[in-house]
Amino acid sequence: MALSKEDAVRRARADMAQRLGVSEDEIKEEAVEQADFPDMALGAPIEDEMSGQMITSGWRISLSAGGRKAEYRASRDQLRLYNYQGSNYRL
Amino acid sequence: MNRQNFLGHLALALAIIALAALAGQVRRWQHHPTTRGVFVVDSPSRTLAPGRNFRRAEVLVRFRPGTALDRIKNTARRLHDRFEDRIEAVDGLAVIEGEDGETAEDIAAEYRSLPELVEYAEPNYEINLDHEMLGNAIHQHPDDPMFGEQWSLENTGQSGGLAQADISALRAWAKTTGSDEVVVAVIDSGVDYTHQDLMNNIWVRPPDMDEYTDDELGTIDDTYGFNAVSDNGDPMDQNGHGTHCAGIIGAEGGNSLGIAGVNWKVDIMPLKFIDASGSGTTKDAIKAINYVINRKRAGVNVRIISASWGSTMYSKALEDAIREAGDEGILFIAASGNASADADRSPHYPASYDLPNVISVAALNRHDQLASFSNYGARSVHVAAPGAEILSTWLNGDFREASGTSMATPEVAGVAALVLAAEPDLSMKQLRERLLKSVDKLDSLSGKVSSGGRINAAKAVGAD
Repeated sequence: MALSKEDAVRRARADMAQRLGVSEDEIKEEAVEQADFPDMALGAPIEDEMSGQMITSGWRISLSAGGRKAEYRASRDQLRLYNYQGSNYRL
Repeated sequence: MNRQNFLGHLALALAIIALAALAGQVRRWQHHPTTRGVFVVDSPSRTLAPGRNFRRAEVLVRFRPGTALDRIKNTARRLHDRFEDRIEAVDGLAVIEGEDGETAEDIAAEYRSLPELVEYAEPNYEINLDHEMLGNAIHQHPDDPMFGEQWSLENTGQSGGLAQADISALRAWAKTTGSDEVVVAVIDSGVDYTHQDLMNNIWVRPPDMDEYTDDELGTIDDTYGFNAVSDNGDPMDQNGHGTHCAGIIGAEGGNSLGIAGVNWKVDIMPLKFIDASGSGTTKDAIKAINYVINRKRAGVNVRIISASWGSTMYSKALEDAIREAGDEGILFIAASGNASADADRSPHYPASYDLPNVISVAALNRHDQLASFSNYGARSVHVAAPGAEILSTWLNGDFREASGTSMATPEVAGVAALVLAAEPDLSMKQLRERLLKSVDKLDSLSGKVSSGGRINAAKAVGAD
């Protein structure tokens, strides 16, 4: 099922709350913006992943909590956490 | 079309056929039954002495589908021209005659400046039975209704692009429009093999060929190719990316439907290793390459793999699989990547493997400039091709534009297939050299790709 921007933000908030062990109420939306990502892994490939080299439209979701920041990347098909503590995650 | 005009067009068509017979082209067209395409002649700047063969200031204008006849006539009147005729076989195509002394080029330019109304406009010239006209003057213009939007094949300056910043497909098609004897493996997210504009160009395992058998997977009914994600014989695309790439290589041309591929006729072998979200694993990519090698050894004339994917992670196993494909005479054409990076310093695999059967492809926009997203590399990226705002086939019978080195790669794979249609005995090495030595050198690519140029189909097939 296609992911909407609202779905993506909700899932991103839940993921960050879980990672930090805080409530979702403590997660602040710094920015949610339309973005074009360089490939079909949204520029956030995980290890051993090959991705189609097609520009892919989606949303860049910037969240913060307690001084920690995280960038999530979403398209209609997927949600990823970009460069979090040096790694990418496909959620 | 009235009777007088019909006879006029009939006479013109007969003259073209007679000319083509002299040029030895008719035999080729009979071998490639694409006669629903419309034959026209090339631009006078390339083939005719101005003022000598020029008949009158007349242009062929293709208005956008659904444009009312009254609007076409009013537009012609407003531009001080005369609506002369409508070519019913091609929706929206009209013959416009100038009435105020302008040249055909100027008139065509006026219409091209109305992109909301006009798909393309080009001068119409009389064809003389003159041996100076033989050879490259005739090209085939497909009747596929969206062809006017395919700037990579014929850039008329539509949507503000640079005229002739294309792969010179029309002139290449004078020599060949492809062959279903040539098989191109599209290793990707699969292909929608039921798409109306692809279904006649999909490879099907010959009935006398054994099913695919793998030591680990067992025997698989690979009627339409192979799915390395699910380890079965159904490579149906659930993403769209592979279907888009396949359409660039070989959407059926001259079928009055959708778009034209670089090849009007070709055999596309669908391979799936990328899932619905657009990603796959190295292991599954290797399984797909292994399948292609197996089918080559079984007798399939698969000569090209088109690979519009990649990663910055080096894999020796993937490199070995591609080398093995090269040993079987299979050319591996790969996307250079979309990181706007110098691939000489920041490699992107598989395009960056230094193997004799790999061609790494950068992307150009409709202005003949390197696309902003495209990787480049004076040593490790070999050639560029159109890769921005490329219209092609999509899921559910649809068509859409997409951008990326993903789109540039099948343009090159398509040209490679065209070359093999014309010269099936070329070796892999010869084919690679031909593609890289027949480019149009561009200032914008100097120091960016090793060949310094954009792929040119006409030169590659020897039509230019």
